[in-house]
Amino acid sequence: MRRYDSLIIAAAIVVLGGLLSLVLADYRLRLLNVSVISAIAVIGFNFAFGLAGLISLGHAAFVGLGAYTLAILTTALGWSPWLAIPVAILVTTVFAGMIGYPLLRLRGHYLALATLGLNVSFTIVVTNWITLTGGTNGISGIPELRLGGFAFNDERRFLWLGLVLLALCAAFAITLQRSRHGRAMMAVRDDETAARMTGIDVTRVKITALCLSAAFAALSGTLFAAHVRFVAPEDFNYAHSIIYLAMLIVGGEGAVAGAVIGAALLTFLPEWLRFLGDAYLAFFGLMLLAILVFLPTGLVGLTGRLRRLGWGAKVERTP
Amino acid sequence: MADFIQLFVNGLALGSVYALAAIGFVIVYSATGVVNFAAGQFVMFGTFAGVAMLANAGLPWPVGYAAALLAMAAFGALFFAIVYLPLRTSPVVTVIIGTVAVGIVMQNAALLGFGSWPFRLASPLEGVTIDIAGAAITAHAAMVVVVTGLLVGLIWLLFYRTALGIGMRAVAQDAEAARLMGLNVNLLLALSWILAAVLAGIAGLLLGPMWFADVNMGDPIALKAFAATIIGGFGSLPGAIAGGLFVGLTELLGASYLSSAYKDLIAFVVMILFLLVRPQGVFGERIQDRG
Amino acid sequence: MTLLQATAISKRFGGLMALSEVDFTVAPGEFVAVIGPNGAGKSTFLNVLTGLTLPSAGNVQFDGRDITRAPTHGRIRAGLGRTFQHGRLFSRLSVLENVMTGAAIRTDRSESQLREASLGMLDRMGLADEAKRPIDSLSYGQRRMVELCRALACGPRVLLLDEPAAGLNSGEVELLMARLIALRAEHELAVVLIEHNMGMVMRLAERILVLNFGCRIAEGTPAKVQSDPAVLSAYLGEGYNNARD
Repeated sequence: MRRYDSLIIAAAIVVLGGLLSLVLADYRLRLLNVSVISAIAVIGFNFAFGLAGLISLGHAAFVGLGAYTLAILTTALGWSPWLAIPVAILVTTVFAGMIGYPLLRLRGHYLALATLGLNVSFTIVVTNWITLTGGTNGISGIPELRLGGFAFNDERRFLWLGLVLLALCAAFAITLQRSRHGRAMMAVRDDETAARMTGIDVTRVKITALCLSAAFAALSGTLFAAHVRFVAPEDFNYAHSIIYLAMLIVGGEGAVAGAVIGAALLTFLPEWLRFLGDAYLAFFGLMLLAILVFLPTGLVGLTGRLRRLGWGAKVERTP
Repeated sequence: MADFIQLFVNGLALGSVYALAAIGFVIVYSATGVVNFAAGQFVMFGTFAGVAMLANAGLPWPVGYAAALLAMAAFGALFFAIVYLPLRTSPVVTVIIGTVAVGIVMQNAALLGFGSWPFRLASPLEGVTIDIAGAAITAHAAMVVVVTGLLVGLIWLLFYRTALGIGMRAVAQDAEAARLMGLNVNLLLALSWILAAVLAGIAGLLLGPMWFADVNMGDPIALKAFAATIIGGFGSLPGAIAGGLFVGLTELLGASYLSSAYKDLIAFVVMILFLLVRPQGVFGERIQDRG
Repeated sequence: MTLLQATAISKRFGGLMALSEVDFTVAPGEFVAVIGPNGAGKSTFLNVLTGLTLPSAGNVQFDGRDITRAPTHGRIRAGLGRTFQHGRLFSRLSVLENVMTGAAIRTDRSESQLREASLGMLDRMGLADEAKRPIDSLSYGQRRMVELCRALACGPRVLLLDEPAAGLNSGEVELLMARLIALRAEHELAVVLIEHNMGMVMRLAERILVLNFGCRIAEGTPAKVQSDPAVLSAYLGEGYNNARD
C-alpha cells in the first residue's frame, strides 16, 4: 500500500485543489496559490531539515535566489519564463552545492547561525545591489506564464498550474524519500557515525539534501515571481525562513504530507484568526512553542501516534 | 581626525551594547547549553522597560532605571520557569526553534503593548557633549563605554571572586558534579537567566537613546550579538566583549569609510568566515564539545 | 596471506598514549579476539581500523591498499564492517529499513532486490517477524542483532564486533555464538571480536591479541594466551580493581 502513497498524495492534491479552485472566491484562490507555492518550498526544506537534520534558518534565501534569477532573466534579458525557470533552479542548486561544501561541516546551532547570517547577507545584497535588483523597489513587470494561447494570468488558472507542479514535486519527494537516498538522509540525521559505518558518504548525502532543498526552493521562488509578477527583498528575508521552518514543524517534519498541510494551514491561519488582529503573531509563536513541546511530530504525527497506540494494543494481546 | 575620533567612540559605544547583549547570551549558553535565539528581544524588552518607567510612568531616571532592571530580572526568572524548564531536556533543534518562537511572541507582545510607532528614550545626559581633540562626543556614548567597562569588571568579580559566581561556573562546567557537591543547581541556573536578562536590560537602556525604541529592534541586535559571539568565540566572555566591540566598530567605521549600504554585511561575512575557518572564534570553546 | 594489516599503530590523546606501536593482522576467514582490561585501548584500536580516529603514527592496509587516512565509508565499501559497543541503530527507520541502508552499499541493486536481500538476512538471523517493527519497540538483544544484520548486509570481508555480548542474557549469547559460527561457515568472513566474555572468546577465537595500557602484551592461541604471565597479571590487576569498585 505504501508503494502507491506518492500517487495517492499527488492525486489528492490535484483533486482537492481542483475542487477548491471551482468553488472558492478570488481572494481565497490567491491564498491557495500562496499555499501551493510555499508547499513546494517546504517539501524541499523537508529534505534538508526533516530528513537530513540540517538546521537551516536560511531557506528563504534559496527561494529568493530562484525568484530574482527568474525576474532578472525575464525582465533585463527578455528571456522566456519557461527557459528562465530551469536556469534559475540550476543557478540556485549550484550555489547551494558551492556553499554546502564549507558550510555543512558545521552542526547544530553553528549551522543555524551560519545559515541565518547567509539569509541576512542575501537580503542586504539584494537591497543594495540596485543596478541588478532594483533595491527596495524590487523588480516589476515579470511576464506571465503562458502555454500557447493559454495564459496563466488569473488566480484560478495559475492554481491549476501550481497544483500540477506541486503534485509532481510531492510524488517525486515521496519516491525519493522511500528510496535508498531518503533512507541515507534519515540515517545521517539519526546517527552520523553509524551511517558512515554502513558505507554512507555523510558529506555527500548532506550536500545532496541541501541541493535538493535549494532546487525545490528555487522552483517555488520562480513560481512566486511568476504569480505576483514582482519581487522585492522583504519577501525573502529570514523571517520567511522561520515561517518555512514553522510550516514543516506544524505539519510534521519528515513527511511530505506534513509539509503540504503545514504550508496550507499557516497560509490560511492568519485569515481564520483575523479577529486576533495584531495579536496573531504572538499567538503564532505560542502555537509553535506548544507544538514543539506537546506534539513534536506535528499534525501528521498525530495519525502515527494513534496507529502506534493500536499497534501497541495488538502486541499486548499476543504475548 | 576629529571625525575618526567621533566615529571611533560611537563605534565603541555601539560595540559595548552588542558586547553586553553577547555576554548575556554567553552566560546562558555556558550555564544551560541553550542557544537563545530570543536574545535580541531581551534587549528590546530592556529598552521598552525603560520607555515604560521613564517616558510613560514619568519616574525620575535613577528610580526608573532601577525599576526597569527589576522588571527585567523578574522577566528572566519567568523565562527560566516557563520556557527553559519545559525545553530543558529537548534536542538542540527543538530548543533553537523554541527560542525563535518565544522571540516572536516577545516581539509581538511588545507590539501589542507599545504599538509600531517608535519612541524616543532620552538619556540622563541628554544634550551634553564632550570635546576630545576637536571631536564632539556625546556624553551618553562616553557613559555607555564607561558603564560597560564597569559591568565587565563586576561580572569578572562575580564569577571569579564570589562563592555565588564560582558556583555558577561550577554548574556551567558540570551540573551533575555541582549537584553532588550540594549546590542548588536549579537556583544557580535561574540566576544565570536572571543575570542575562538584567545585562540585556542594561544594554537596552543604554541603546535606547542611541537608536529609536522600536519593537523591531531586537532582530538586528540579536544578529550582531550572534556575530560577535561567533567571532569572539562561542561560550567565551572575553570573546563576547572583543567580538561585540569589533562588530560595533566595523559597523560605524565601515559605514563611513567603506560603504554605508553594505556596513552590516561586513560583520556577517566576517562571522561566516570565522565559522568556516576558525569556528571556535578568537577565544572560544572546542566545538567538538557541543553541537 | 593477510587481508587486514595494521603496522606500528600509535595514538596519542594529549599526554595519554592510548595505543603504542600495535601490530595486528587478520587473514581471510580468520577469527581473532582482541582482549584487555578496561581502558586498554581496544575501542580506540577499532576506531583507528575503521577511520573514526586517525592514528598519530603507523599505517593500516586492507587487501593490499593503504587505508590509513581513507574515510570511513570508503573502508566499509572496500569490505570492512563494524558494530558498536552499545548498538547504534537509525531510530526513525524500521528494522527492515535499517538493514536496507546496509544492503544499499551495492548500488546496482534495485529497491526490491534491496528488500529481498535484507529480508533474507533478517530471516537467517531469526528476525524475519520483526522486519516491520520500529526500532524503539525492540528489546536490547534484538537491537544488537539488527545492528549485526545491518553490518552483514554490507557484505564485509572483515567484521569488527565491539563487545557484541555485552548486555545480552546467557541464552542470547549462546544464540549469537551459534549464528557467528554459522555465518563463518557460510561466507568467507573474518571476524575481529572485542569481548569481555572470556567463555565466548575462548570458544570462538583462533588467535587472541591482548592489549594493556595501549601496548600489545601477548598474542597467540587461546591456550598460549591463557598461560601467559603478563596476561595473568594484567587481569589480576583488573580483578583487584573490580573488587574495589
